[in-house]
Amino acid sequence: MMPNLAFFEPIVIFTLLNVAMTVGLYVTALSGQLSMATAAIAGVGGYASGILTVKFGVPFVPAVAAGAFFGGLLGCILALLTLKMRDFILKLTTLAAGEALSVLAFNWDYIGGANSFTGLAPHTGLVTCVIVAAISLYVAWRFDGSRLGYGARAVRDDPLAAASMGVSVAQVRVVTFALGSAIIGMAGAVQAHYLLVVTPSQLGFFVSLNYIIFLLFGGLQTLAGPVLGAVVLTALPEALRFANEYRLIVYGLIIVAVMLWRTDGLLGRTPLGVARRIFGVTFGSAHTSQSILRAEDVLPSSTSAMKETATTKSL
Amino acid sequence: MDLFLQQLSNGMVIGSTYAVVAVGFALAFTVLRVIQFAHPDVFMIGMFSGMMAAGFVPGGGLAVALIGGAVGSTAIGAVIERTVVAPLRGRDVLTTLIATLGVSVILQNGMAAVVGPDPIPYPRLLPSRFYEIGPLVLTLRQMFCLGLCAVLLALASFYVRGTHIGRATRAIAERPDVAAAFGVNVGQVCRITFWLASTMAGLAAVAVGTLYGSASAFVGLLYGLKAFVCMLVAGNRYFEAVIVVAFALGILEALVTGYVSSSLRDAVAFFVLIGVLYLRPDGLFGSYAT
Repeated sequence: MMPNLAFFEPIVIFTLLNVAMTVGLYVTALSGQLSMATAAIAGVGGYASGILTVKFGVPFVPAVAAGAFFGGLLGCILALLTLKMRDFILKLTTLAAGEALSVLAFNWDYIGGANSFTGLAPHTGLVTCVIVAAISLYVAWRFDGSRLGYGARAVRDDPLAAASMGVSVAQVRVVTFALGSAIIGMAGAVQAHYLLVVTPSQLGFFVSLNYIIFLLFGGLQTLAGPVLGAVVLTALPEALRFANEYRLIVYGLIIVAVMLWRTDGLLGRTPLGVARRIFGVTFGSAHTSQSILRAEDVLPSSTSAMKETATTKSL
Repeated sequence: MDLFLQQLSNGMVIGSTYAVVAVGFALAFTVLRVIQFAHPDVFMIGMFSGMMAAGFVPGGGLAVALIGGAVGSTAIGAVIERTVVAPLRGRDVLTTLIATLGVSVILQNGMAAVVGPDPIPYPRLLPSRFYEIGPLVLTLRQMFCLGLCAVLLALASFYVRGTHIGRATRAIAERPDVAAAFGVNVGQVCRITFWLASTMAGLAAVAVGTLYGSASAFVGLLYGLKAFVCMLVAGNRYFEAVIVVAFALGILEALVTGYVSSSLRDAVAFFVLIGVLYLRPDGLFGSYAT
């Protein structure tokens, strides 16, 4: 029997939007700038597109593009603002920027102020969300294997060494932050036309934190990490609904457990060794698995050992 | 002028509570390199355990509540240290941040499941009495809160400067490896520092609960962010800098509330943080290299 689709549709829509936003955060974080202003960037995208559709009568698609543009612009500004800062301080400055924007939205009457921005038309459906998630995944996937993507990883691991190899640290940081933020702004614009309201509290740090948890839970080394984290952690509270008031406690326990026992997130740099051994596949970017020399490629003993286990299994 | 002085003293009272939480934060961060995101929730647990202690012992009043708050928060702090913070020592700052954030989610929602999500009235541990000092009007509760926090901060400062373990704390903050080579038991010093920070938070929490007359499972959220800002603006080179910044922030917020708008109050901290970190990325008073 088919389950009632109408019940699952909102969950699927939120899962897809969360995947898009977490992928955007992944792109930003690839150069070592884990933004703590995701919700603020998404909110700016939402406000921008909402104002355009409601107050200026702009069609939906250009408004979403404008949302992506303003998101990217904010990302650009944040990257320039934090260019001189050390990794950890940078993250917390983006946090403060997000909170400050939230308070600004709260006090700005033109965009609704404390009463929220309302009057948006429902443009977003399941198909829109699938398209948005697909676009963000495609962009992130192409970025992942590009020259810039490798440059970003180099800057994350050691800015000094990257700079001495001719990578422009400033350029990489600004571009990755802007690109990731544009994805987040797009997803935020689409989300606004689903929720039909943009509230200042949506811009706050505790909303941003969700996306950081998604990313770190899944693992920030491969593109599959943010996708897995967003899917699992969006669906999990829904699956735990039978436990109602205890579900957030269980949610917290799962986060602590993953951080204690899989510090790099569920999918580390070698994603789920177990899955690879069983299926013989690597998740994540195909470019990475081609270019990184694995231990098995160099050490003949380990290769033969793997073959042995494979044959014993087939026997 | 009267308004100015009145807001100044109100700001001092708020600032002192920020300072106690921020100092706990800063101790955990400088010594353990851990962002103890659950510290404001340890503060919240202290508030409720103090309330329960005062309820169990009729007529015990303030002293019993303070003891209860200190015991409750120290116990929960010790559990967090043992189960989450100690196993993750030396890992990336972000890993511990997310892990303690998970603890924070557990504590907040656990307490909300027990007492309900809405604020509940706090027992009246002190009579409501007003004192006029020159042009100022201060309540007894405000004075108690300010006094208790001042004593706690002075003790914390003495601990870090004057005691053997406190000096070891500062040595670890600068170079954990060298401190260990000179015979400092790093694990033990970290543990004791963590416990003391929790005790301080619990004591201050009882004073804050008495001051505002209400307690909520989510009281930690606001304190957490403000304390965080204080720690970053101050930098971690001088322990006392956190206290100075916390008082300054409290006063600044009170002045903004009085002269500009109360809805902008919570934004002040974040504008200050962005401004200071843009000009001085290591904080106002400098930081150790991490």
